[in-house]
Amino acid sequence: MKKLNILALLIFVAGLVAVFTFDTATTRQIQSRVMSLLSPFIHSSAAMEQAAETAVAPQVNPVELKRENDEQRVQLERLRIIQQKYNQIIEENAKLRQIIEFKQSAPFKMTAAKVIRRSSSTWWNSLIIDKGSLDGIGTDSPVITSVGLVGKTSTLAPHMAKVILLTDEMCRVSAKIEGTLEQGILAGERAALEVRPELHLRFLNRNSNINAGAGVYSSGEGGVFPADLLLGRVKRFENREISGEAVIEPAVDFSTLDYVFVIEMQVAEPTLEPASTPARTKP
Amino acid sequence: MLFHPISIILLLLTFMVQEFIPGLEIAQFATLFLPAVFFFSASVAAPFSMMLVLAFMTGFIWDARHLPGVVESLSGAEDVFGTGADLELGAGTHPLPFGLSIVLFGMLGRLLQGIRPLFKRGRLELPVLMVGLATFVWLLSQYLIITFLRGSLQFPAGVWSKMITDSLLAMLAAPLIFLLLYSLARLSSYEIKYEGLRYRFDGR
Repeated sequence: MKKLNILALLIFVAGLVAVFTFDTATTRQIQSRVMSLLSPFIHSSAAMEQAAETAVAPQVNPVELKRENDEQRVQLERLRIIQQKYNQIIEENAKLRQIIEFKQSAPFKMTAAKVIRRSSSTWWNSLIIDKGSLDGIGTDSPVITSVGLVGKTSTLAPHMAKVILLTDEMCRVSAKIEGTLEQGILAGERAALEVRPELHLRFLNRNSNINAGAGVYSSGEGGVFPADLLLGRVKRFENREISGEAVIEPAVDFSTLDYVFVIEMQVAEPTLEPASTPARTKP
Repeated sequence: MLFHPISIILLLLTFMVQEFIPGLEIAQFATLFLPAVFFFSASVAAPFSMMLVLAFMTGFIWDARHLPGVVESLSGAEDVFGTGADLELGAGTHPLPFGLSIVLFGMLGRLLQGIRPLFKRGRLELPVLMVGLATFVWLLSQYLIITFLRGSLQFPAGVWSKMITDSLLAMLAAPLIFLLLYSLARLSSYEIKYEGLRYRFDGR
């Protein structure tokens, strides 16, 4: 082996050792920097994708558009009325809580974000949104839609964040089944990269009486995800060697996500302001 | 010797181009992993020391861009199922360690250097096949390491279809990258193709 090759190999090994000894903060900083550097290209690719979709999409009928617009105006008015009533109830609730000195749970702030694109990676199920650390988003924050839980944030850039989807094995949620006392851990399948893969709710009691179609909600036990977010519906229940396992159909269709909300639960001061668009919660 | 710095610049460019390559929904979002394919192709063309430089850069940037965020434990407590918050933060799910791709690229690059003599003679059939094989081995190694770390052996059919489609796409792109490298070598007077004592007729 030439001297130059030996030297190159030594430098390579030294560099490798240095990389393996990076602590979490350094690794996150590097990931954030690389994502920031590539963010113009990610934005451009998303814009190109959107332009191509628009070019291919059939022309919109103006009459149909007007009808839809009218319908949405009516819907908006209805929602405004509901919001007013909701505000009144929140206010009344806060007063009653003050009277009985009830310890109020920390409210959460929500940031709306646009889904830029779905990441094509090796084994990870993720997408990218257009809000990042400078927009007040933190790592491991829950991401929801009006339907239910989407996942949690991962790597952050100043105006961009990667979201690990609920269908990824790395996103695990403490969950409960509607109408039962059963609680377990919900996770996706390994490398299940299809559009709507099944989820698995593990560590349930064996021979539990769980009906197909029952709603599965976050329990809030873990502290990362707020309680009562809809996760999916039970498809079937299977008895395993040690515990029971329910196969869950996710509530959210991950292929049609346009806008999501990122929850920040670290807000210290309780406020009477209602959250803007809460996800569907347990009735 | 312009060939090596230009190779590095091209490698960096592939990371930018990668952002524009969509995934195939029908094959588990399989896609062309351009930086990896460029590295595998370049490692056949470049000498050992340059291959190591390219392996380090490819692995480092790949992990920085594509690995999920590293999990940080909230508490030091460890039990069978982890503490609640640790569990939701991802404790026990083990993402791949940052830097592992450098090792994989380094090893596969060394393997690909074994077919350099063939490549120097201008034969592309085996190098193209080897680039596809290297892509397959890279993905399979990642998957096996994830499986090993998480402790349960699962091989759904989708995993195979994704790995095979990714490898086929890599084999489709490899000849173009080889041709690009040949052109680059010609422009920068770098000798990739050994032409030895071949008789040249100059018309006189």
